Amino acid sequence: MSDQKDLLRAPFELAYNYKRSSGPLMSKFFNALAEQKILGTKSSTGKVYAPAAEFDPETHESLSDLVEVGPGGVIESFSWIEEPKHHHLIKNPFAFALIKLDGADTSMLHMVTECDEADLKIGSRVTANWSATIENRITDIKFFTLEK
Amino acid sequence: MIQAGVIGVGQTKYDAKRRDVSMGGLVREAIDNAMLAADIEWDAIDAVILGKAPDMFEGVVMPELYLADAIGAVGKPVLRVHTAGSVGGSTGVIAATHVCSGQFKTVLTVTFEKQSESNATWALSPRYPYSPHINAGAGGYFAPFIREYIRRYDAPEHIGWKVAVKDRLNALKNPLAHLHIPGIDEKMVSDTPMLWEPLRYLESCPSSDGACAMVITSKDLVGSRDVAWIKGMAVRSEGTLSAGRDEVNPQAGIDCAKDIYDQAGITNPYKEIDCAEIYVPFSWYEPMWLENLGFCGLGEGWKLTDKDATAIDGEMPFNMSGGVMSSNPIGASGMIRFGEAALQVMGKANDHQVEDAKVAMGHAYGGAAQFFAMWIVSSSLD
Repeated sequence: MSDQKDLLRAPFELAYNYKRSSGPLMSKFFNALAEQKILGTKSSTGKVYAPAAEFDPETHESLSDLVEVGPGGVIESFSWIEEPKHHHLIKNPFAFALIKLDGADTSMLHMVTECDEADLKIGSRVTANWSATIENRITDIKFFTLEK
Repeated sequence: MIQAGVIGVGQTKYDAKRRDVSMGGLVREAIDNAMLAADIEWDAIDAVILGKAPDMFEGVVMPELYLADAIGAVGKPVLRVHTAGSVGGSTGVIAATHVCSGQFKTVLTVTFEKQSESNATWALSPRYPYSPHINAGAGGYFAPFIREYIRRYDAPEHIGWKVAVKDRLNALKNPLAHLHIPGIDEKMVSDTPMLWEPLRYLESCPSSDGACAMVITSKDLVGSRDVAWIKGMAVRSEGTLSAGRDEVNPQAGIDCAKDIYDQAGITNPYKEIDCAEIYVPFSWYEPMWLENLGFCGLGEGWKLTDKDATAIDGEMPFNMSGGVMSSNPIGASGMIRFGEAALQVMGKANDHQVEDAKVAMGHAYGGAAQFFAMWIVSSSLD
């Protein structure tokens, strides 16, 4: 066995820059967020995917029929975060939740806050709260809160 | 073994930056074109085989899952292939093997690269500890092999310029090609900067975004469709630094070619193959592969290039589409060779069609010229 101090270790930082092209459909979805609108896509079967999907996983067709959904919806499931860590976007207790927006057939992942854990149930109604800063990204929806 | 044929080839427009589409939109563009050409619906696809070069190039790990919706793979068997630059070819071989196995009737296969999402040339040159940062890129890696070829056979420097011109003139006949350089000539090429001595700028392939897809089906389902029958296919590899390795004329390339010629009953490739799409990312690889693949003897490749044998109307046309020299979406580049070979024997190569092409070869290589994939396609089964 070699002495521990003879075993070399060196830092290796693998850092690399990327860009993402959103394409025509998802660009519309992100641009709509700037206007406080949430878009889904409707397939030929009538099913509405929200957030918008570029391709239907069931029929495999390209989707282009955009429809507005929400801003209200129903919690389908959730996980409560009592003590948010530094990397969480919300510093107060909150839940990650799967939210089926009104008019949609699928759910989207977002955050629900300004409530107690005991207030949340599968089936609770929530509504979108919008961020003051617009960045054309999903966090333009700041979080969801329980419908008054 | 089940006999298999290509019934649809689909390609995207190749360009430096396809900012108009997402990664999913890019692969779907090729798939839509392939399925339209094959006259086939999603229900008929039994499995999806996706190939691309390293995940580092776009920063998407497990792209076959990231792109599952786009490639129509949800609910179907899916497989991802990666064999460096040869991946477009080996993905085609693996897709065809699925059909030949009898377990899958019709397979969709797609390959892509979206180089504009990052900069692939340098993605494989991270700053490793304990080593200097060479940052050579593929051209820097191959330049010494090319230098050795030139030394070994006393080849004149204009051979490289000639290939660069010929492939780009062919590209002018292919609307999908990335590079369209009207008026290109040897002077224009030789006036461009030296990138990796002895390779000049215009002797190198571009960085492209693009995708290529094929639909491969079994003999009993071909029906009245146009088809390119797969008469021989193989992959071979050798170690990057194995002892006694000849990087100029790799044994794996020799063996892979011999395998597909034997399968297809070809004894004289120069006479019996009507045209070929061969992976030539840097000009000098045309004469090098002419020799490695047995189209001529050692030291004779550059002479064939010099007498225009590889021109579209020559005795042994190479890269009628413009080749890798004109479009290089890395992961797709091998499949474009395979698909273009299929289009030739189907008589569907439009303005870059070789007259009466009946037997064509597709070829891809990758890594340190160590991974090979090849196939022979024919207009007839016999």
